[in-house]
Amino acid sequence: MSVSRDDFSIAFRSALLQRGGAQKFSVLSLIFLALIIFFLDVYGAKFTKPIRGFINDVVYRVTFLASTPSRFFPQVSNDISSFLNVREENKKLKAEIEKYKSLELNVEFLTDENKNLQKILETEYFNKNLSNIILAKVLVDKNSPFLKSIIINKGTQIGILKGMPVTKDNYLVGRVVETNYLSSRVLLLNDLNSRIPVTLDEGAQAILSGSGSNNPILEYLPEDYKVIEDISVFASGKDGIFSPGTPIGKTNENGEVDLFVDPNQLSFVTVNLNVQSKGDL
Amino acid sequence: MAKTSIINKIYNAGPVILLYYLCISEVDTNLEKTFEIFTLNFQIILIYFWVLKRPEIMANGHIFLAGLINDVVMGFPLGISSLSYLIIIFVGTYVRNKSVNTTIASDWFTFFMAMIFSNLLFFSLLNNFSDLSFPISKIGYNMFFTVFMFPIFWLLFNLYQATFVGGRDA
Repeated sequence: MSVSRDDFSIAFRSALLQRGGAQKFSVLSLIFLALIIFFLDVYGAKFTKPIRGFINDVVYRVTFLASTPSRFFPQVSNDISSFLNVREENKKLKAEIEKYKSLELNVEFLTDENKNLQKILETEYFNKNLSNIILAKVLVDKNSPFLKSIIINKGTQIGILKGMPVTKDNYLVGRVVETNYLSSRVLLLNDLNSRIPVTLDEGAQAILSGSGSNNPILEYLPEDYKVIEDISVFASGKDGIFSPGTPIGKTNENGEVDLFVDPNQLSFVTVNLNVQSKGDL
Repeated sequence: MAKTSIINKIYNAGPVILLYYLCISEVDTNLEKTFEIFTLNFQIILIYFWVLKRPEIMANGHIFLAGLINDVVMGFPLGISSLSYLIIIFVGTYVRNKSVNTTIASDWFTFFMAMIFSNLLFFSLLNNFSDLSFPISKIGYNMFFTVFMFPIFWLLFNLYQATFVGGRDA
């Protein structure tokens, strides 16, 4: 019995304290070091923030370089397949151009009408000031089972702040949650930690919550409200962060929201520098 | 002779290079895009196998550093992945010290124990000290598939070890 206990304690101590050969550090010393780093980072000591920002910038750049081969091969295969389909695509595009030409007149009329109505209502077009919208490249898009976020190549250097909305083709994709000097992290709409106030087609208000899967869900809908397929979802702007009316997606048959922008296929996004959250996010 | 030695060094460094590459690159082992619930923590399998079989080629310092890099890339609080990996090392080293001869079944079972301890620490720290929240189902799927896939990678790594590194079991 005592021999077995001795064996246990020897193996236990050895596993914690063993050094020598290739092992220059014992497990115990590294556990202590990791705990110190963890608590310094969590409780945000003043000197850790710039260090963390610097480390983030360096590691994100290295990650971008290290991921080049994994991006290169799918890109080449896409290029080859699109080259082979160029003729068919040309036909389709010609047909689409004809269709859009006829729609253009309609749009022009509606734009004028919209402007006149806004004048009557004495409101300003919310996206009037487009000069502060910047284009950013997605540096890292690592698919984690737990966190849905991307890293972009613009940071506090050009004025990006926490909470700024991020869009692609005018569709909302997320908001900035971490800023470094040369890079920022964007929390995507489908992340479990994402909550956005939204308006539905018929004017109903709700909260769009990330579910961790590709399709966020609608919460806090009005009582007895039944979600049907094909309802458009827009940012309501009630939080003062997102521009009201920014399109997000459409509801599907399961009551979830199909986003207009596939969060797994982002390569360039735009950040609106005009808007910033007032509180902590 | 010198050339052989360099090639051997490269083969020996293979698992560490793979670990660093998985942590720092966009390459991941989460096939959620094709199969919605399939997520896998490949780093843990890699660390556990090599700590158990050939700890001299998977140094603790490298694993610690790889954990820090993983935290930066994934957006976790710094040090949390390192702690999780160090628990894996600890259980692996303990099992290595206690056992004379190992089989795939014993390694599989002890890996399951190591992952339970490691994930328990990882998610309880995240839950208590950060604002991040996680779906329990995802954690469950991740653990299940990681344990489920262990024997396959065990065989592959054994093959690598026998072919390129040279066997010297516990």
